This record gives sequence, C-alpha cells and structure tokens, in this order.
Amino acid sequence: MKKIYLSLLVLILPALAQAATAATQLEGSFKAGPAIILISILILFVMVGILFRAKDTNDFYAAGRGISRVGSGMAIASNWMSAASFLGMAALMYGSGYHGLAYVVGWTGGYVLLLILMAGQIRKYGKYTAADFIGDRYYSQTLRAVGAIIAILISISYCVGQFGGIGLLFKWVLGVDYNWAVLIGGTVVLAYTLISGMLGVTKNMQIQYIIIIISFLIPLFILSYKFDYFWLLPQIGYGSVVSDIVAGIPLNETNQLINSLGHEFAMVPSPEYAMPWDHAAGKTFFQWIAIAFSLMIGTAGLPHVIQRFYVVPKARDARWSVVWGLFFICILYWSAPVYAAFGKILAANPEVGNLAPDAIVVYTAQLGNLHPLIVGFLAAGGVSAAFSTVSGLLVAGASAFSHDLYVKVINPQASPKRQLLFARLGTVLMAIIVGVIALAKLALIGQLVAVAFSLAGCTIFPLFLLGIWWSGSNRSGAYAGLIAGALVSIIALSYFIAGKLGLTWPAHEFMDYWLGAWYFAWIGAPLSIIVNIIVSLMTKETPIEIRKFLVEKVHS
Amino acid sequence: MDNSSNGYHISFFRPTTAHAKANRNIVIWLILIWVIAIFGFQILLRVIEKPTPEPVFVEFQSVWSNIAQSNASAEELRTFGKSTLSVLGKIAISDKEKAVLDNALSNSAYQLKPDSLRSDLVFRIKNFESIKSEINNINDPAYIIAKRAFEAEFMPIMMFSNTDVRVKFLPLELKSEGIESLQAETIKSLPGIMQKYLVHNQSFLTDFKFLGFPFHYFYTAVFLLILFIGLCWLYCVKIDRLNTKLNLND
Repeated sequence: MKKIYLSLLVLILPALAQAATAATQLEGSFKAGPAIILISILILFVMVGILFRAKDTNDFYAAGRGISRVGSGMAIASNWMSAASFLGMAALMYGSGYHGLAYVVGWTGGYVLLLILMAGQIRKYGKYTAADFIGDRYYSQTLRAVGAIIAILISISYCVGQFGGIGLLFKWVLGVDYNWAVLIGGTVVLAYTLISGMLGVTKNMQIQYIIIIISFLIPLFILSYKFDYFWLLPQIGYGSVVSDIVAGIPLNETNQLINSLGHEFAMVPSPEYAMPWDHAAGKTFFQWIAIAFSLMIGTAGLPHVIQRFYVVPKARDARWSVVWGLFFICILYWSAPVYAAFGKILAANPEVGNLAPDAIVVYTAQLGNLHPLIVGFLAAGGVSAAFSTVSGLLVAGASAFSHDLYVKVINPQASPKRQLLFARLGTVLMAIIVGVIALAKLALIGQLVAVAFSLAGCTIFPLFLLGIWWSGSNRSGAYAGLIAGALVSIIALSYFIAGKLGLTWPAHEFMDYWLGAWYFAWIGAPLSIIVNIIVSLMTKETPIEIRKFLVEKVHS
Repeated sequence: MDNSSNGYHISFFRPTTAHAKANRNIVIWLILIWVIAIFGFQILLRVIEKPTPEPVFVEFQSVWSNIAQSNASAEELRTFGKSTLSVLGKIAISDKEKAVLDNALSNSAYQLKPDSLRSDLVFRIKNFESIKSEINNINDPAYIIAKRAFEAEFMPIMMFSNTDVRVKFLPLELKSEGIESLQAETIKSLPGIMQKYLVHNQSFLTDFKFLGFPFHYFYTAVFLLILFIGLCWLYCVKIDRLNTKLNLND
C-alpha cells in the first residue's frame, strides 16, 4: 500500500502546481488543473490494476476470495457508488425535489432486503456468477444461458448511464464535444478493466472509495462554511438550507454572499422543492412508491452486486460486508442532497440559465466559487465513481459471457487461458455497445440506471428469492416466472423506446405512467413471483439432489 | 408451499430447524419495521396532507378576476406582477409556462406606466432584448447598465422592499412581444400555472422543523438511512448470536 500512497502523492503534486492558473468556468474550454488531477488519478488506477492484476480465472472472477469484510464493504460501496449516485442523485433532487428522495431510499433500502434474504445464502451456495446460480439451482442449461444474457443486458443498461456520466465530466474537464468525451472516457475505462480484472478492480475499488468520498465531502464543508450554515456536519447543517429554500431567502443588504457569477445568495420561496409529490415536480405519490420499491428489489437482483458476495471468505463476512458497504454508501447518500439544495439557491437567478441537471454537483461547486483545484478533484471523484462501477459491471458482464455462456454452454473443455480471452473479448464487446447507446443521451443518468434495477427486479430477483427460500420452486416455475417478468420488461421498455423515437403507440400515456421505464418492477416482480409459485405447484417437483443441497449446504 | 414428502425441503414460512425458525422470525420482524418505516410514513404523509397555497397565490386569486377583465387598479396590477415574478423565480418552469408568465408580468409593468411613457418602455425593452441576444457574458457593461436601470425604475413602481429578490428577476423577464395586452393563452393558462407552482401538499409533518429540516424531509433523507444501517447491523448481530447459541459455523 505504501507504493500506492507514494504514487498518489507523486502524481497529484503537478496538479497542485497548476491550481493557481486554472480557471473556473461553468462550461467551455480545457481546464488544466482538473485535467491533471483526473489524469493522475486514472494513471494511479491503472498502476494499482497492474500491481494486483488477475493471474487466473479464480482471480478474475472472484478476487481469490480473500478480501476482508471492511475491504469488501468499501468495494461494495465503490462498486455501488456510480455516476448515478455521485451525479445523478443530486440531479434528480435538483430537478424534482422530494421525488428525488425516492431514489435515495430505494438505492439504500434494498440493501436490507439483500442482507436478510440473500447475502449469506448466496455465499454459501458457492457459485461465481448469477447465471451460475440460476443454472444450477434450476438444473437447466437454457436458464443458465438466459440468466447470462439477462445479466449482460442489465450490465449494459447500467453502464449506459455511467458512460453518460463519464462523457459529461470528460466534456467538462477537457472542453471537448460530448461524443468525443464518451469515446475517450470509454476507451480509458475499458483499457483499465482489461488490464486489471477483478482482483485489481477490488483493490482499486477500496482506493476509489476513498477518493470518491473525500472529493465529494470537501466541497460540502466549504460551501456550508462559506454560506454561513452549520458546516461541521453538512449532512445535518443543510436542513436549514432546505428550510430556507421553502421559506425563501431575502436579499442580503450587505451583499456579502454571492455566487461565482456575482448573484446574491437569495431566492423566492420554493416549497415545491421539499414538499411531497408536489404538482410542480409533475410526479405523483404512486410514482414515488413505485420507484422506491422497484429500486429496492432491483438492488437485490443486480448481478454485479450479488457477485460481490462471492469474493469474501465466509457467509458471515458476506453479511457484515453488507453492513459496512451500506454505511459507506450512506455517507455519500446523506451528502448528495446537500449539493442539490445549494445548487437550487446558487442557480436561482435566471441569468445562470438552464444547467444540465446531471452536472449540478460540479456546477454547484463552481457557482459556490470554490477553488478550481477542489472543483477539479470533485470532477475526478465523479469519474472515479463511474469507473469503479463500470469496471465491476464489465467484469460481471464478461463473466456472464465467458463463464456462463461460452464455458458452461458452448465449450466446457475450454482452457483457463481461453476462458480469460473470452472474458476480455466480452468486455470489449460490451464497452462498444454501451458507448454507442450512451451517445444517444436517452435520459438522466439516474433514470437510465433505474431501468437496470427494474429489469433485475423483474427477472433475477424472483429467481434468487424463490431459489433460496423455497425448494418447491422448480425449473418450469422458473421458466414461467421469467417469461412473465421479461414480458412486463419488454412492454415497458418498448413503450419507452417508442416514445424516444417519437412514436405514439396505443394507450401510451397509460403505459408510460403505470409501467414507467424507471419503475416497472413494481408490478413485474410480484407477477413473476406469483407465476413462478403457481406453475411450480402444478408441475414436477424439484429433484432431490437440489433440495438436499439447499438443506445441507445453503441453509445448514 | 411445501410440495415434498421426504424431508428435504426448504420453505421460508415452514421452517424445520431451530435456526430456520429463529431466522424466519428475525427476518419477518425486520421486514415489518422496514415496510412500515418506509411506506407507512409516506402513506401517512399522503393521508394527512392538505393543499396549502403560498400567500402570494391567495393575493393572485384576489386580483385575477379584475385583471382578466382589464379592470384592475394600480395596486392590483402590482400584486399581479409580483405574483407572476414569484413563479418566474422558480427555476423548474417550462418554456411554455414561462412565456405565459412573461406576458402577464410585462403587461402589468406596461399598464403601471403612464400612457405617455409606454412606448418608451417598449422601446427600451426591445433595446435590452437586443443587447441580451448579442452579449457573450453577463458582465457586459451595456447589459449591466440597462438591467440596473430597469431595476431602479421598477423598484418604486412595483413597491418592492429592499430585500425583495424579485426585483432582480424583473428586467430579465420583461418581453416586448404582446406587451400591450394579456394574450388569449395567458388568460386561459395562467390560473392553472399559478396553482401548479403555488399550491403545495403540506401537513404538520412538513411544517414541523427538526434539526433545521422540515420533519418529513429529515425523516426520509436522513433518518431512514440510519434505520437501514441499524436494521442490517441488528440482523448480523442476531444471526451471529444465534449461530453461537446453536454452535453453527459458517
């Protein structure tokens, strides 16, 4: 670790020298200070990846199963804290106020379900990937292949939002066009994942977590101090910011508090920011509940999240790593609303113009007139967040492609070297697909990521839940449940894509509301579970060896 | 859900071992707390909420009929103009709604000027619009001078107090197009827009302050996350104790 800290210092020092000359601009030109910090951090990640690179398939998939609880918790948090958490969360609250808190609750509350229903049992089952579990538990190669394909689709969907975040931040730092930013950022994250594999990724995730959280917290302390709020704990101090937004902030006669554009720290009363399901936000009570529920069950069905439990030595470690992981995650989730609240006030003057919500974290720091180096470090933290998640997702997708599809279904005799080759080929393919979709800018980062959660909630979550907790769930039930969940997903996503293409399908308003792309799992998941149970009860029971394994190994 | 007959079966609701029974009970309790804490609270919020207008909406309603009939006094025009600015200061409004509000504000400003000065006002607004379209940044001297002139001019006309932030937005929202009258679209849409942005779902849970937060906001954004960590911690401790008690090893 000493080598890593030394590298970090050596690489960051040039950036410090650049700090004095860097300019603060909301958009536009190349920003030297932030660029140097960003490049230094990326080089650091690659170096760590090389130092801890995967030596064989066991390393590549599951990091040798030698990661500690706290370390695994940090990796869970880093893996989880994506561009959606770092950038998207504040964007959702900035744009839709209290409605955005459905995402905060959904993305944290799901860990309770994950822990009490799955974590320990998944580790005891002892498989490498989600598709492995599905294939073995439901004794079907077809289901294994379908599970692998779904895992790949979920990873792609999740990655699209991350690539969007990487594109936004590279655009901001490098001053290049969004499309070029996606291309450059995508290439770098791909190169890093290919070099390191999961062992490097896991080590990197621990470092990435520290960078992400420090870069995210420092501006909050400064903003709170600067604008005269309780700064020792901004996550509590911003309560007064929210109340000020609701009540309005009058002009300060001394004009001491201004943003970087010279506007007073003042705004008209805006209760719509904090009041539940406000008409101004255009969101309803049902949508709040549906989003929170879908994100929670999606959390417990995401392959790359589930896969984190395979890297700890024991089931007990898997359970405690969730507690640590959730704690580390919550530090960021308590903090993201602070950016949205300050951003709301600092951007209140119409002269600021319409800011891209997904970049509001960075804009808030800029409008708060923070030092360019701090803003640059914040942007680098955002890139780290996206990188750590993309790496995990690409590894999960590559595992599904190589391990579950190629080795288990197509070529069981494949050598370890060939498996690794296919894992890397899968990673490249996924990155290309994701990059192309990300260029279309389909929605906000948080919303794009929420699609992956609903998809996971409708398909993988029911299979895991019933697979672990009810030996009566059999192959036929799994097929039927999966078809039901997939059908709901296909309908919801078809309407979403049709809408984006400007097509008006029958009952589109009804479908957009009740089967929204960000929350269709509210109905898809329960339906899939019910169908699975009914069909299982009507068909031949689960083979004795599977039930025996569940009793003796998973629940012993 | 038990469809086996040879003893090898797992069913969450029909546990067969002491460990499974204890685990089931812990899980059920935790899920109950989890569900009530998350969804129960939101349902409670929904049940007790009441549509609560901002004071400025009540003022708007009191003058709207006279404004719509072109029969308003200067005081009513001031109240009307200020109420539209209260919505224009909220940055979430759409372009279509902004156009309606701009027309309402501009017309009230136009009517508050004496007849002899109205054409001059329109000329200066057009001039300001031209400056806005040409400048590259908001520090342009011509832009700043024109903007401050409008602020100084309308401060007494609209009777803004020294701390009223709305005076800062006013110059930016004055539009020359259609300024002479309220447009048909404005008369049709304005009441709905005002209601949308100035009436909120509130209750004692949203009005009560806790650590500076509106209570419901604190509960959802801060407390629930603490609760989630607490539930996870509790589960791990309980299961560890259970395993120790039953002499089980992971």
